[in-house]
Amino acid sequence: MDSESVKKDRDFEERTKLLFEQSVAALDGQTRSKLTQARYRALEELAERASPGWSRSWLPAGAVAAVALLSLMLWQGQMGPLTTSGFDVAAVTDLEILFGEEEFDMIEELEFYAWLEEQVELTSGEIVEDGIG
Amino acid sequence: MALAVTLQAPMCLQREDGTLESRAEMEGFLREVETRAFRIAVISTRDAGEALDIVQDAMISLARRYADRSAEEWRPLFYRILKNRIRDWQRRRIVRGRVMSFFGGQEGEEYDPVAQAPGPTSENPLEALARSDAMDALEQALRELPKRQREAFMLRNFEGLDVADTATAMGCSDGSVKTHYSRAVHRLRDALGEHV
Repeated sequence: MDSESVKKDRDFEERTKLLFEQSVAALDGQTRSKLTQARYRALEELAERASPGWSRSWLPAGAVAAVALLSLMLWQGQMGPLTTSGFDVAAVTDLEILFGEEEFDMIEELEFYAWLEEQVELTSGEIVEDGIG
Repeated sequence: MALAVTLQAPMCLQREDGTLESRAEMEGFLREVETRAFRIAVISTRDAGEALDIVQDAMISLARRYADRSAEEWRPLFYRILKNRIRDWQRRRIVRGRVMSFFGGQEGEEYDPVAQAPGPTSENPLEALARSDAMDALEQALRELPKRQREAFMLRNFEGLDVADTATAMGCSDGSVKTHYSRAVHRLRDALGEHV
């Protein structure tokens, strides 16, 4: 690339950056106020996280303990009757959600994913008949 | 027992100081990025309300999940979260649009130019208008770029992230960032010419 082209690129980059900065500076007071409120909401989250009582950091430990207990109960056959395949599919699905860090995002948007799943089922025509009617 | 009390008190104070310090640090960081992040989200969504929700969500997520990381890591992490939130929003909008069109309705863009307009300033109205036109043209050209090029351009040029931080935010290699950014600059220059 020749130096003229490089210079033109640099000039262009500077102009676009300046335009962006000016558009940020021109944000109205109402928007800035809403952003401030949003920031404080985020900081509240930080305060909750730092509180000495119940902490999110205990969640993984709690999940592990629950899984250990569940495994023990399954092993000793103290749970209710298993499914025909000999495996409680719903419990395993719950465990997958508990274990995966990525799934925390999913839990936050569970309603959307449930709806999405419904759409997939509707479009693929694989709706399971419930036998009623 | 008395010894234990005297030892514990300074530790509590120290802990409180640390919490306050990290809160102040996080607040400073969020204050610094919030308006720029909002503008980036508006460019991506064309909806100030949605952009505000996305930025708030990204800020909360950063505070919840990454407050323990060093402050130097926050910027690329924050922009990575923001990018993911914007993508999620875009995906949802596409799905909603499909469903609405299936039922014969319309997924309104509801772009309100009055709501998007900047607040009153003391500058020359003609200059402000020219600049606003130029920014509108730039935003439009950005929306027409492939997604990865747009992300690379906004993070590098608008937010001023270096190549490594942009790569972290985008979840790709340094080389990819350079390629996406270079292509974005050329395409924008071709599209906008001297308009910007």
